[in-house]
Amino acid sequence: MASLSEEVLLVVKKVRQRKQDGTLYLMAERIAWGPEGKDRFTVSHLYADIRCQKISPDGKAKIQLQLILHTGESTTFHFSNESSALKDRDAAKELLQQLLPKFKKKANKELEEKNRMLQEDPVLFQLYKDLVVSQVISADEFWANRLGDMNNSDPTPYNNKQDVGISGAFLADIRPQTDGCNGLRYNLTADIIESIFRTYPAVKQKYGENVPHNLTEKEFWTRFFQSHYFHRDRINTGTQDIFSECAKQDEKGLKSMVVQGVKNPLVDLLSLEDKTLDEGYGVSTTTPSTSNANRTVKESSNAAIIKRFNHHKVPFFFSSETSSTDGNSRDSDFFQPPVKKVRLQEAIEYEDLQRENRLKTVALNLKKSDRYAHGPVPLQSQHYTTSQDIINSVNHIRHEMVNYKPNLTQVLSSTAASSAITALSPGGVLMMTGTQQAINQMIPTEVQGELKHLYAAAGELLRHFWSCFPVNSPFLEEKVMKMKTNLERFQMTKLCPFQEKIQRQYLSTNLTGHLEEMLQTAYSKFHVWQTRRMLRKT
Amino acid sequence: MASEDEINLLVIVVDVNPIWWGQQAQREPELTLSKCLDAVMVLGNSHMAMTRTNKLAVIASHCQDSHFLYPNKNWRGGDNGGEDASSSGDGKYELLSVANNLIAEEIRNVMTKTEVRGNSTETLLAGSLAKALCYIHRVSKEVEVGQEIKSRILVVKAAEDCARQYMNFMNVIFAAQKQNILIDACVLDSDSGLLQQACDITGGLYLKIPQKIALAQYLLWVFLPDSEQRSQLVLPPPAHVDYRAACFCHRNLIEIGYVCSVCLSIFCNFSPICTTCETAFKIQLPQMVKPKKKKLKQST
Repeated sequence: MASLSEEVLLVVKKVRQRKQDGTLYLMAERIAWGPEGKDRFTVSHLYADIRCQKISPDGKAKIQLQLILHTGESTTFHFSNESSALKDRDAAKELLQQLLPKFKKKANKELEEKNRMLQEDPVLFQLYKDLVVSQVISADEFWANRLGDMNNSDPTPYNNKQDVGISGAFLADIRPQTDGCNGLRYNLTADIIESIFRTYPAVKQKYGENVPHNLTEKEFWTRFFQSHYFHRDRINTGTQDIFSECAKQDEKGLKSMVVQGVKNPLVDLLSLEDKTLDEGYGVSTTTPSTSNANRTVKESSNAAIIKRFNHHKVPFFFSSETSSTDGNSRDSDFFQPPVKKVRLQEAIEYEDLQRENRLKTVALNLKKSDRYAHGPVPLQSQHYTTSQDIINSVNHIRHEMVNYKPNLTQVLSSTAASSAITALSPGGVLMMTGTQQAINQMIPTEVQGELKHLYAAAGELLRHFWSCFPVNSPFLEEKVMKMKTNLERFQMTKLCPFQEKIQRQYLSTNLTGHLEEMLQTAYSKFHVWQTRRMLRKT
Repeated sequence: MASEDEINLLVIVVDVNPIWWGQQAQREPELTLSKCLDAVMVLGNSHMAMTRTNKLAVIASHCQDSHFLYPNKNWRGGDNGGEDASSSGDGKYELLSVANNLIAEEIRNVMTKTEVRGNSTETLLAGSLAKALCYIHRVSKEVEVGQEIKSRILVVKAAEDCARQYMNFMNVIFAAQKQNILIDACVLDSDSGLLQQACDITGGLYLKIPQKIALAQYLLWVFLPDSEQRSQLVLPPPAHVDYRAACFCHRNLIEIGYVCSVCLSIFCNFSPICTTCETAFKIQLPQMVKPKKKKLKQST
């Protein structure tokens, strides 16, 4: 049953759920329904769990409200009060509409964040599987450090909400639907309304003035869409339209901006003109008077489109100068020359084509350059040969080679050859070092992969463990003890089966020695800390 | 199987340091310079016999100079060729017999002209490698347009490393790497750090032979196949190369040290002035840490 401290916002009687009569309660943080006559709630959902709500269309006989949760489940409430069913349903819907957005963001954000992190980082995902799914540590502990790191070190881009821009085609997207008999039906959502306000600030002003005093929202929008302001023609006929003022305001605004001018000295707006070369490529001297009338007609039909374009582009054109114009508008004439110079210089100079400024270098001044002659080789014991030895050797060699004749049939004896072959065959004297290098080829790849996962998981646990030292606070004490039990559990559930498995496969190499060593170090550290603690207490 | 158009050039650089070989002849008479040269000739013949388009060059690396044993300038003469071919008389592939005779003649000349000089007792290996690179470069330019040529260098090393040739050696190694030329090394006596680095950088094979008398067998087994064929064969695995540098002050090998940012000289201890370029340095002393500090996770 609801706790007494919960604030009840709305109570709706005669609401059926699953063909049972009952009452619907909307509270501060959840929505609940209890069958009639009983005090307990059979259905209760936190607003945070609700993804969205749906209502049955107006024409239907049954007036229903459906709640869809994040998990995908849905609950349907049928409002069965004969007189006020629709009002009840609408009241419930409005309240939910206000409450749901408040709770929505909090829950989603965290879950989304976590999911995103797991998806982006396969190593993290594997770690999560190894540690949390197999219940070595709890999910909270796992995320405790991770999310903390994320928030401190790296302000996620999700926190900085950028303004969503207006789609260029939004007006065209409001496609009216024919209503059967000569009417048009426009579907307006909050997004579209916002876009209209941003594009036409004059309309926003009018909205603020007229709604809800003079017109209802519906009427306002109907008039808006009917007005020629909205349509392309923009012919200002009739002053009954509240929107004709908007058109006049816009024109005034544009004119003032043009007069104000652009601060770019290389651009002169006032000298722009629509000059067309008439027949004769500008040379002919036909009197312009006869074509005056035609021109005005053409002009007026083009003027509307041109006005629309200008209205759209002007903010962009002038906004680039806002930083410089605000302060300098008064002294613009005084400052004009430097600005122009800067602009001209910018246009003619390219930074990367200019000569590089070579840094001044310092010459290398070596005192003992002979050290480089022999390089970093160790001193080897020199064989000193006496001059007598030299003379003897040279004479001997000379004597030997004077009558040198190649005797290629007596180069090798068979015994020598066979002993050389034995030495060179696999297992021979010279081939011994080869077998030691193949360790990563001897172990199958799944075993290697498992070992990597073990190392990652053990590393994570050990990191938590070692970060607790020095143990200053009771929180750290608890954490140390918890981590020790976690390590032991890890060793039992993950490491030992792995060891048995590789032993069964007759792999004689010791793959887990290092892991065990690390765990033993952690255990001994814990033991030392514990004995010290006991000594301190006694 | 190499394609018809591909030319494989093998340049063999033989270390004929007379002092070392003279002493070797007295220490272990089984392997003398003559035997070594025989083995090299066998390898050269085998290489040329593999494909018609294979080419060979042999350079003798002496302590006075480096000398091209094959091919050399006297070869082009046609009449000489005729005489030699008939003189061998055993129906050998002409090219092989000509090559062998040339090599033998040249080495005789080189060794008889050896002078006794006390100051240079070390093999000019860096110079020979540079000559080999130049030869390879020339040949690849002389080849017809569109024909591919793949080259490699095999060094048969006898004497010890010379520390003074370090700079030139490293330059040669990097030049070979740029040209995609493999440098293989067959070391007879003492391990050579420079050649190990050369083989590691260029992608060649380094082998120190346990039995010198079986030199020919090792050469044929390990160094006859070219780089494409080596991927299909089981050959000795590359050895671990010690790339540690030696400090400039004591010439000890160090793993962690101090490097001057101006002249890049390496020291094992910090000194406020670099002795090579006389730049002054300041170093921050580590801050006093609290007695109870966080125990960092031990990483092995």
